[in-house]
Amino acid sequence: MNRVYRLFTQQKALVAIAVIVVVMILAGGDPSRIFFSSYNLLDMLNSSTILVILGLGVTLTIIAGGCDLSIGGILVVSGILSIKLQDFMPMPLALLVAVLFGTLVGFVNGFLVVQQKTEPFIITLGVGLLLTGVAQQLSDAHPVPASNPDFMNIANGYQLGDGQFTPGHFPGIPNLVIIMVVCFIFFAWLIRYTAFGRNLYAIGGDYDVARYSGIDVIKNKWMTLVISGTMAALGGVLLSSKLNTGSAIYGDFTALVVNCGVVVGGTSFAGGVGGIWQSVLGLLLFGLLDNAMNVLNIPSWYQMMLKGTVIVAILWLDSYTQKRKRELV
Amino acid sequence: MNKIGSFLKDYLVFVMILGLALVTAIIQPKFISPANLVNIMRQFGPLILVSLGMTFVIVGGFIDLSVAGTINLVAVVTISLIDPLGQVGALATGLVLGSICGALNAVLILTGGATTQAEALFITFGMSTVYSSVALIYSGGSTFHFWDLKAPPDIFEAIGAGSLGPLSISFVIFLFALAVLWVFHTKTAAGRAISLTGGNKTAARLSGVPTNRSIVLIYTIAGFMAAMGAIVLFSRITTAAPVIGAGFETNAILAVVVGGTTLKGGKGSVLRTVMGVLLVILLNNCLNLLGVSSYMQWAARGAILVFAIWLDNRKEVQGNQL
Repeated sequence: MNRVYRLFTQQKALVAIAVIVVVMILAGGDPSRIFFSSYNLLDMLNSSTILVILGLGVTLTIIAGGCDLSIGGILVVSGILSIKLQDFMPMPLALLVAVLFGTLVGFVNGFLVVQQKTEPFIITLGVGLLLTGVAQQLSDAHPVPASNPDFMNIANGYQLGDGQFTPGHFPGIPNLVIIMVVCFIFFAWLIRYTAFGRNLYAIGGDYDVARYSGIDVIKNKWMTLVISGTMAALGGVLLSSKLNTGSAIYGDFTALVVNCGVVVGGTSFAGGVGGIWQSVLGLLLFGLLDNAMNVLNIPSWYQMMLKGTVIVAILWLDSYTQKRKRELV
Repeated sequence: MNKIGSFLKDYLVFVMILGLALVTAIIQPKFISPANLVNIMRQFGPLILVSLGMTFVIVGGFIDLSVAGTINLVAVVTISLIDPLGQVGALATGLVLGSICGALNAVLILTGGATTQAEALFITFGMSTVYSSVALIYSGGSTFHFWDLKAPPDIFEAIGAGSLGPLSISFVIFLFALAVLWVFHTKTAAGRAISLTGGNKTAARLSGVPTNRSIVLIYTIAGFMAAMGAIVLFSRITTAAPVIGAGFETNAILAVVVGGTTLKGGKGSVLRTVMGVLLVILLNNCLNLLGVSSYMQWAARGAILVFAIWLDNRKEVQGNQL
């Protein structure tokens, strides 16, 4: 009984993913066949990659007891920048500048939130608002098309194959999946085997205790926002490359969804707990949910309601688990 | 000298935007024309009502992102019920529905034990999605118009465009709501309990303040005021779309914070919020008259939100050092 309870409370994302898989098996017929086809599964993984890349950075900020809601704004601005700057400079340089823009915003976020000790949620929400406005101004609220085939290839290309799905033929691995896996391995190493990563858990667990133990809390926590900003910008560049356009509209929802996904995975807003694996599961859950609902032909408004309900249910469960733990102590 | 310094620190944003208004008036004399001032008074309606409700949530130490969803839902439900239930019935149903949405947020927060602002922020964000999607499903995504109704809804038309002497009716509603909420907050035990809950939840609970009741109250008030805002909003534009409330949550938070109510909870008042809303509306109006694009206005709002919170925090830090 206790083990079942622990499974449900600690591995919420895994349980939810299992539920979706069971539902899709029970659905039978066409939806089931389409859902479990290798094409669909790979497509799903491919379309979740950018959310996962954003989530990796956000995970660090949440473990350290903060959060980053400006990633939606960074995503759209750097996405548009990566295309617009190509008119003035060679492509690699343009991409680099676009990513560094995210680093800069992360640095400013860190200054405001960590150094000046303000409330991270509202401040980063405000920064996100500001950047969304900037993105609309930059793009005049129109999609910005890219014209460079090399740029498009970054996110749409395949390795070890040609991306064709024919029976008995290996389609290859999408570049986006490779980039995601590399980032994932890097973050998993960072958080598990470096002093920086271990310090984040200490800071999130108890800020003052960490400070008195001699950890440079400000520098470490500041760094999480810089990393999160950089990853958001990288995600923005990849998204622009994938869609071959930059647009200001993708940011609205992304920030809240990514932060929710990370928490859904098991990294708690209370700070000090969580990990990279959990975040990936939490974010894949959203990709899986979207995909399953599409395959089942659920109308979009019902999808929205279902997604909102899942978010609330899992966040509620997260708080409830914390409450139980407090009461036990 | 010290007095002026502390006044400036308390009201710096106010002084800055007053300066902006002055500059606008000089560059663009249309700013102080009667037509523009009436325009400003009319814009006051929906946002101020929503912000008054939001004040209580923030004073209570929480935050509410669900008001956008509540406005969407209440607007489409109320307007669609005018024909079957009559105007008074529809109005009452709308207000009750808003309160229920608010209370539902509070129940989720309380039963989950979400005691921090962060947890409340995400739960109410999720609920906003749910309310908005229910509004979309209920309306089938279509927009309701006054001219489609069987009889002209004269009560709603009066709320939207009528006037009582020199004041518009929506302005009178605002004055009435302000008076009631101000008395409730400053003169009743339940109102004081909200401030105490926001100041320090644990201390308040241990000294016998009913903190759970306060949390239910603040969200119910926010839901009710969002419903009022929704009704005034669709009465003015005579149509209700299921996406009518988008952006209200950030604008309301901005107005409350710019007015000087601290996000840390415990301090603030509805009167400050009135000032905050006035500043937000003046800012929009100034930027419009100065020909700043609507995109940059979003950016400006974000920047002011960040600046106001930062400033608020600086005061706190300096206060602690003294």
